[in-house]
Amino acid sequence: MLRQPLSKALALSPCARLAPVTGRRYAQVQAQPEKVEVFIDDKPVYVLPGTTVLQAAALVGVEIPRFCYHERLAVAGNCRMCLVEVEKSPKPVAACAMPVMKGMRVKTTSDLTRKAREGVMEFLLVNHPLDCPICDQGGECDLQDQSMAFGSDKSRFTDIHFSGKRAVEDKDVGPLIKTVMTRCIHCTRCIRFASEVAGIDDLGTTGRGTDMQVGTYVEKMFLSELSGNVIDLCPVGALTSKPYSFAARPWETRRIDSIDVLDPLGSNIVVATRTNEVLRILPRTNEEINEEWLADKSRFACDGLKRQRLVTPMVADSRGNLTPVEWEDAIVAAAQAIRDCPPEKLVAVAGEMADAEALVSLKDLVNRLGGEHVYTEQSFPLAGAGTDLRSSYLFNTKIANVEESDFVLLIGTNVRFEAPLLNARLRKAFIHKETDVALIGPNVDLTYEYMHVGDSASIVKELASGTSNHEVLKRLQSAKRPVLILGADQLKTPEGAALLAYTQELALKLQGKLEDKEWKVLNVLQRNASQVAALDMGYKPGVTADALKNAKVVYLLGADGGQVTRESLPKDCVVIYQGHHGDRGASIADVVFPGAAYTEKRATFVNAEGRPQQTLVAVTPPGKAREDWKIIRALSEVVGAGLPYDTMDEVRERLADVSPTLVCYGEVQDNNYFAQAQALTQALHCYFAIKRRLISPECIPLLYGALSDEGHPVVVLRAALSDPVSM
Amino acid sequence: MCGMKPVCKIVKPLLTTNYYDAHVRVIGLYKAYYRFIPYLLRRFDIPKSEEDCRWKLREMFYKNACVTDIRVIDMLVIKGFMNLKEMTNNWQQKGHVIANWNPSIENKPCDFVGKFLAGVD
Repeated sequence: MLRQPLSKALALSPCARLAPVTGRRYAQVQAQPEKVEVFIDDKPVYVLPGTTVLQAAALVGVEIPRFCYHERLAVAGNCRMCLVEVEKSPKPVAACAMPVMKGMRVKTTSDLTRKAREGVMEFLLVNHPLDCPICDQGGECDLQDQSMAFGSDKSRFTDIHFSGKRAVEDKDVGPLIKTVMTRCIHCTRCIRFASEVAGIDDLGTTGRGTDMQVGTYVEKMFLSELSGNVIDLCPVGALTSKPYSFAARPWETRRIDSIDVLDPLGSNIVVATRTNEVLRILPRTNEEINEEWLADKSRFACDGLKRQRLVTPMVADSRGNLTPVEWEDAIVAAAQAIRDCPPEKLVAVAGEMADAEALVSLKDLVNRLGGEHVYTEQSFPLAGAGTDLRSSYLFNTKIANVEESDFVLLIGTNVRFEAPLLNARLRKAFIHKETDVALIGPNVDLTYEYMHVGDSASIVKELASGTSNHEVLKRLQSAKRPVLILGADQLKTPEGAALLAYTQELALKLQGKLEDKEWKVLNVLQRNASQVAALDMGYKPGVTADALKNAKVVYLLGADGGQVTRESLPKDCVVIYQGHHGDRGASIADVVFPGAAYTEKRATFVNAEGRPQQTLVAVTPPGKAREDWKIIRALSEVVGAGLPYDTMDEVRERLADVSPTLVCYGEVQDNNYFAQAQALTQALHCYFAIKRRLISPECIPLLYGALSDEGHPVVVLRAALSDPVSM
Repeated sequence: MCGMKPVCKIVKPLLTTNYYDAHVRVIGLYKAYYRFIPYLLRRFDIPKSEEDCRWKLREMFYKNACVTDIRVIDMLVIKGFMNLKEMTNNWQQKGHVIANWNPSIENKPCDFVGKFLAGVD
């Protein structure tokens, strides 16, 4: 695999382009080379040498038209749209590829520049079909916009009467991306994305000149977990979204900024809606989380928000069948069950997509009744510090800082599957920043080369005690900014406590030797969007069989993970399910409350780093579904333990009382109690031999999940995949 | 700064200049309505008795019992006479008259559970 030279890395590093992320401090600061002065349309600007003309122009607010150039991809320079005149240069130069020189005078509005653009545009349009009215890109098409701005007012294309327009056969690259290859203008953005960011070298060009075609060389699927991003990257309508095809025009949709909850990263998204229907989900730029990419799961799962929904409250009738009832009846039925239940037999279980407001309401309700049994589905070892110290269960390094690391050790996590955008970060660091990656766990394809240490958990023990003679130990010890990423799924088993303890010990040993005292080594990568908020609030991780065995009432807050089954409960136990999809949880319930999905409520979610973010209401909940915290609030009053908040603001005040970090939207608080966490663990002697082999899921791209039966753990996705028409 | 001087604003009276006159006019309006009630029931086919109408009249007057501004009292009296005139001249129909009892309006829930069950935010 080609690793880019350092000069490329400098050009691509976000620091050169943007204000540095606050809170990052390094031991050594690179000496900045002297800036050179260039003139863009006679406006002077000082830029670093190596900056391109296009970037320099962007600094003074002059936008040069482009098709192939993309700031997060390598420079190709093949569309020629960015040609500009440079004084004392015989020909116009491609601004995206031309580095600035001292005293360079660039003219972006001169006659020569304009003529060059018009010529390029004319050539592009010669080979581009006039099908804007039936093209899905219409309205958000770069070619359309730029031909309006820079194109000629008339056509000289007479070939149409003789040989006709060039036409290219469409490619079939899978169920997510629709291709109309005649529209392709050969900008090669998709090819560069696939090989640089996604790490799938499947796309490429064949032929030359007018015969040039972009595609997979042999007919195959574009099998990447980031494949949907080529739809956004394509400046024309050659690659469009298949589920969204012919659905809407961009000017008809309302766009609402929101947060994705299908993976633990909390990618920023824009939800496009029309007529109270989510049409598509697009990424929103957030340099600290998802840059401008989005994983396929997050992008295409919105189909599932329309299917298999719970739209009305339900109560089981005398024969055990769930029958639709009014809210009043359902709440009274649930309240009766809760009132009749001794508090120590009331168990609440929060699922993977529960928001912080609902979590705090549910916990307050249970606590007010005198109960203590509030659990999450995902377990976490409670030996030692357990979840008392935030640093034990967070992704402390922060997602963006992973790029700055020089050695990353993944322990029992298939990052590509669990957090695709984190994997994209790791790949970016590997290619552009000389970061090396090692993996303990099954030998999975992470799209980049890594050192496979083995798949036994005991390796972590050897590394922690320093008895390992594997190369990875030396690399870790010599690393200036090492990162350990431990997959939260590994902590489910009885040996999880030991694995966590050894990882903490290893991290602490490494951290002690670092020059950069701010650098965090230990990371736990959670598997879902609700876990961190729940743990922050004091939910107990992992519902235990003991608690379920004695339960009289079980309240499932979107708990669909299959941890709670009818077999694990006593016969007379009443199960109350609150959630948005009719899935495993609802199927075992006696009372069902329909809740709102993440696109339908204003709610707080805390991502794996511990960064609270809020979703906004894009569409209204279907049928009689209500916002989750309101359901619990209403129930609490009927039960006779009314919660003291009536509005969202009051709930958030309560959240702030529980933990002020939960309402610092968009910010991550630093966590520093690594040593204390480790000391507590050590004091409890929870070390014991670990022999288990680590297991982590193989990356199943979206379609393959549909083909396998229980492919996906996320309920919305299961709903999306259960309907073959949607795919 | 020196102390605030008491400011007296001289306003133009509407009809009366003192409470006594205003009160007389209010009582006059009350009597006018009171005497009109039998005719009202004959003229408009509403499912109300004289007793009901008298209670409603009393209620309407007591609704403004707390008004102390003479000009506001005068204004309310004027509006009352206007309303009466509309009824006597048949400018108001059955619907307008029965609307005083608001038979079709349900109170909006204002407690949390009520709002929740009604699905209003």
